[in-house]
Amino acid sequence: MSRIRRIRAEATAGWHSFLRRRTAVFFTFFFPVILVVIFGALVRTQPTEGGLFAEPAAYYIPGYLATVVLFTPLSRVGSEVARYRDGNRFEKLATTPLTRAEWLLAQTLVNIAIIGLASLLILGLVVAITAATLPVTIELLWLIPLIVLGVILFCGVGAILGRLSDSQDGAVAASNTIALPLLFLSDTFIPLELLPTWFIPAIELSPLTYFSRGVRAVTFPAAGDTLFPSIAILAGLAGVIFAIGAYAIPQTD
Amino acid sequence: MSEVLVADDIRRSYGDTVAVDGVSLSVSTGEIFGLIGPNGAGKTTLIRALTGTTDAEGTVTVFGESPKSVQSDRIGLLPQSFTPPERLTARELIAYYGGLYDAPEETESILDSVGLAESADTWYEKLSGGQKRRACVGIALVNKPDLLFLDEPTTGIDPVGRRALWGLLEELAANGTTIFLTSHSMDEVEQLADRVGLLQNGSLVAVGEPDTLIQEHGGTSRLVIEVAEKALESAVSVLTESGYTVESGVSEVVIHNVSPIDISAVIKTIDTADIQYDSLTWTEPTLEDVYLQLTGETFEGTFTPGASVVKEQAAEETEVTQ
Repeated sequence: MSRIRRIRAEATAGWHSFLRRRTAVFFTFFFPVILVVIFGALVRTQPTEGGLFAEPAAYYIPGYLATVVLFTPLSRVGSEVARYRDGNRFEKLATTPLTRAEWLLAQTLVNIAIIGLASLLILGLVVAITAATLPVTIELLWLIPLIVLGVILFCGVGAILGRLSDSQDGAVAASNTIALPLLFLSDTFIPLELLPTWFIPAIELSPLTYFSRGVRAVTFPAAGDTLFPSIAILAGLAGVIFAIGAYAIPQTD
Repeated sequence: MSEVLVADDIRRSYGDTVAVDGVSLSVSTGEIFGLIGPNGAGKTTLIRALTGTTDAEGTVTVFGESPKSVQSDRIGLLPQSFTPPERLTARELIAYYGGLYDAPEETESILDSVGLAESADTWYEKLSGGQKRRACVGIALVNKPDLLFLDEPTTGIDPVGRRALWGLLEELAANGTTIFLTSHSMDEVEQLADRVGLLQNGSLVAVGEPDTLIQEHGGTSRLVIEVAEKALESAVSVLTESGYTVESGVSEVVIHNVSPIDISAVIKTIDTADIQYDSLTWTEPTLEDVYLQLTGETFEGTFTPGASVVKEQAAEETEVTQ
């Protein structure tokens, strides 16, 4: 119970702090909306003779979801680590019973709540303004663990970035630099056949690839992706990266 | 009284910079230990070593254990330049930090103790500087600690708030809480601390009760007489001839070792010599003099530092009160 009490206290503080930063709230939800509007409505996604966005609209759902599953934890946790360090909050927390893993778990829970809401918004928008249809089956519930695992993984990466950055600005810049190429080179928006053959093995190194394939397996089965290898790899990576991220959080000066 | 905190030969370096250099000290139950020293002397690093938030050489025991293994609800810490989440209210902050412990103090009780009951629903970022610091002190108290570390707790707090906080700390100490605090306010340390340690260049150069340190290192009482520059030489001459130990500055004469009851005799001497003066200031040595003496620091001006007990602006009004 003590542990739950501590995590709840930290998560509640994090949730309230986030909700009261109106700009952060607005852009957290506005960013994926812009992408869906641009790529899903303005740039036509009906099949043409090739090139970008030539696949059916539902093919790109993993990419839209990845905008929040990837960007939000990286920048939020990264800058939160820097913010805590700047305010000597970790020094204070080191003298309390809250462990580093509990702190990261609390931040992860806040991110899961935010990204869960953003994902619902994205899915609704995609169905509403593009030609995409979602197969309404029980398999669709696999989206929940996929999103949760993705958030856990990228919260861990965010913690590592926050540790390595020397300021909040640095953490945000680093997260954007990492997230942008990952977003487009993880079997999300760009089909593998549009990439050079020699580069394709590199796609397998991106953790986002397994999130994307898992999501596509349940939202666009026609693409032929399989759920279970992807979700298993994603879970393994999430566990390892979360542990490294928790260890990376500063406990002393 | 048993020893709560014992440090033996603590050393901490950052690259080539030695922050703490062989500090040994002990603090007993219910004692308030004040640590003073110039900026960069190593006070914050020493607190970090004592709380286990930095890895230092040497041995630290808190309640007989290493700081990292001691039960965390027995220690309270207010770090230097601490900033909690800024968009939480004072009440939410106390509740948040209290939520990290199994048996925290009541939130409302803490808010009352630090004088924030009326501002409890204001976001931290909207509080005044003094209120912010009081909220931080409240955060350090949420777990009812047996040993409290406060790194410059009253920075930015107005005199009334400061005195209220002093009262709170004295009450905590009277009830058995051991307090280790750093401050740049000498009157604060002199008022609160049972013992004082002076840290300079990472080394503890003096430790003792404030009165003892003042007696040993504070020098003598002083009477400072501001006179016109043209009268300076004759003032020094007259006072020296009368047997006083005198030194002169740009526009003042400083007489050492004058007790308050001797002031009227000094005034009579300079009045008799028809020397006009602008003001008289009598000071007795304070912890600040100890600090200046031991650190070798000086003020830019020539005015003698210390607690001003007597100041008369008009030369004609020679009545001196204490």
